[in-house]
Amino acid sequence: MHPIVVTITSGKGGVGKTTCAANTGCALALLQKKVVVIDGDIGLRNLDIVMGLENRIVYDSVDVIEGRCRLRQALIRDKRAPELYLLPTAQTRDKTAISPQQMVQLCDELRKEFDFIIIDSPAGIEQGFHTCLAPANRVLIVTNPEVSSVRDSDRVIGLVESQEKGPAHLIINRLVKSRVKRQEMLSMEDIVEVLSTEVIGVVPEDENILMSTNRGHPVALNGQTPAAMAFHDIARRLSGEDVPLQVQQSTSFIKRLFGRG
Amino acid sequence: MITIKGLREGLLIVFGEEPWLIQMHELEGKLEANAHFFKGGRIALDAKSLVLTVDDLQRVIALLTKYEVNIWAILAQNEITSARAQKLGLATTIATPPREAARQDNGEPAEEYAVGSPEAEGTDGLLVRRRVRSGQVLRHPGHIVVIGDVNPGAQLIAGGDIIVWGKLQGLAHAGALGDPNAVICALELAPNLLRIADAARSSLSVPKREHNKHPEMAKIDHQEIKIVAWQEK
Ligand SMILES: Nc1ncnc2c1ncn2[C@@H]1O[C@H](COP(=O)(O)OP(=O)(O)OP(=O)(O)O)[C@@H](O)[C@H]1O
Ligand SMILES: [Mg+2]
Repeated sequence: MHPIVVTITSGKGGVGKTTCAANTGCALALLQKKVVVIDGDIGLRNLDIVMGLENRIVYDSVDVIEGRCRLRQALIRDKRAPELYLLPTAQTRDKTAISPQQMVQLCDELRKEFDFIIIDSPAGIEQGFHTCLAPANRVLIVTNPEVSSVRDSDRVIGLVESQEKGPAHLIINRLVKSRVKRQEMLSMEDIVEVLSTEVIGVVPEDENILMSTNRGHPVALNGQTPAAMAFHDIARRLSGEDVPLQVQQSTSFIKRLFGRG
Repeated sequence: MITIKGLREGLLIVFGEEPWLIQMHELEGKLEANAHFFKGGRIALDAKSLVLTVDDLQRVIALLTKYEVNIWAILAQNEITSARAQKLGLATTIATPPREAARQDNGEPAEEYAVGSPEAEGTDGLLVRRRVRSGQVLRHPGHIVVIGDVNPGAQLIAGGDIIVWGKLQGLAHAGALGDPNAVICALELAPNLLRIADAARSSLSVPKREHNKHPEMAKIDHQEIKIVAWQEK
């Protein structure tokens, strides 16, 4: 299998890109893939916090680009999975510190070593989005099941298509089935009708996410909570396995019933 | 006489033989009368054989800016005019000459090409065979035909008619160069906003129609936009 650069982005901020990048990275690593997750949100560094690796940062991606260290020195190994690495970003620089060209070169270097390169990108309206889009083989758009989020996603999908990086795929994040049933929340079908984009995963609202974010321990490392299962399914789909969405929903429902005890 | 054409990258305004000042006046009139059509658009100017001073160029740029139109290129046969445009940071060539853009019919979203008055049958238009997404704007002096859905937040702005073979949400403005006889047709008409020439109708003013999942046509009837079911005669 060729190395794959997966860029995770969204229309607006705060929909769960960083959560999805961290957990998808962990889930892929638990599938025995060699994975690096890159924080593409220059200046707003937080992927390291979500992954609990903040205290181990010495160098970052901007140091690599500007020649202050070798790429290898900036990579932080996460020992909780077989082959999982983080490439953190600078905290005090702006989004122009890395050009699209430089990001492509960086990823080409990483392709030699890794199966998956996951980029946590800023939202599509923000500066730095094009830098993270440039090296992508796959683009995943995180959307929440609400009208405004879907509208913004539509815009970004248009941008991705016009850069010939499409077709983008969707992660629907924070779905609450009971609210969909009560017609308080858009369903997957509603969203697909507007966006006509393939869905690669549906991640339920999961209270464990907040705790795991604060503890720096992504839920996917344990694999028991509802959201964790969704991330494992996303990882399997990215690896080329055919995991039907329908089955995923019903199995995770069953697992949820038993997995709690 | 000024003519307006559609290009892949935006609109092309072509100047005629008359003196510059007269045509500037005509341009201003067109911008004023069709503000909705031009607003936010991207245009190139073809000055043909006219010789223009830096002052002339700055004046036309200022005029366009006033109407919120972005100018990206000036084409001129006169080399000095060309050099002056370049100094002002404008391009002096466009990627695809209009005629060729029209011929490249390879099923790609051939983004446009057209000329002239949209009244006549057989007028050129823009055919787009894809979903038009939020934030995307299709602008054309002729007709616009979309095979696919037009999403909320997208805009179609046509000098002539608009036909959507799919569900039309978002904004559609037909007859945007002043033609009140223009029509808007869709397999499913559910727009945020409809405009025909100077008339407008927002979705709020449209009574919620239960069964609008059939082809409908919007047109002006007694100065108001009316929506009627499409019936085969
Ligand atoms: N499936 C989920 N269930 C519950 N909470 C979630 C879920 N996904 C994300 N969150 C919460 O939503 C918030 C925003 O998530 P996150 O930081 O991943 O978004 P982001 O898109 O990366 O934001 P930004 O645009 O600021 O980078 C966090 O507090 C996170 O814990
Ligand atoms: Mg983030």
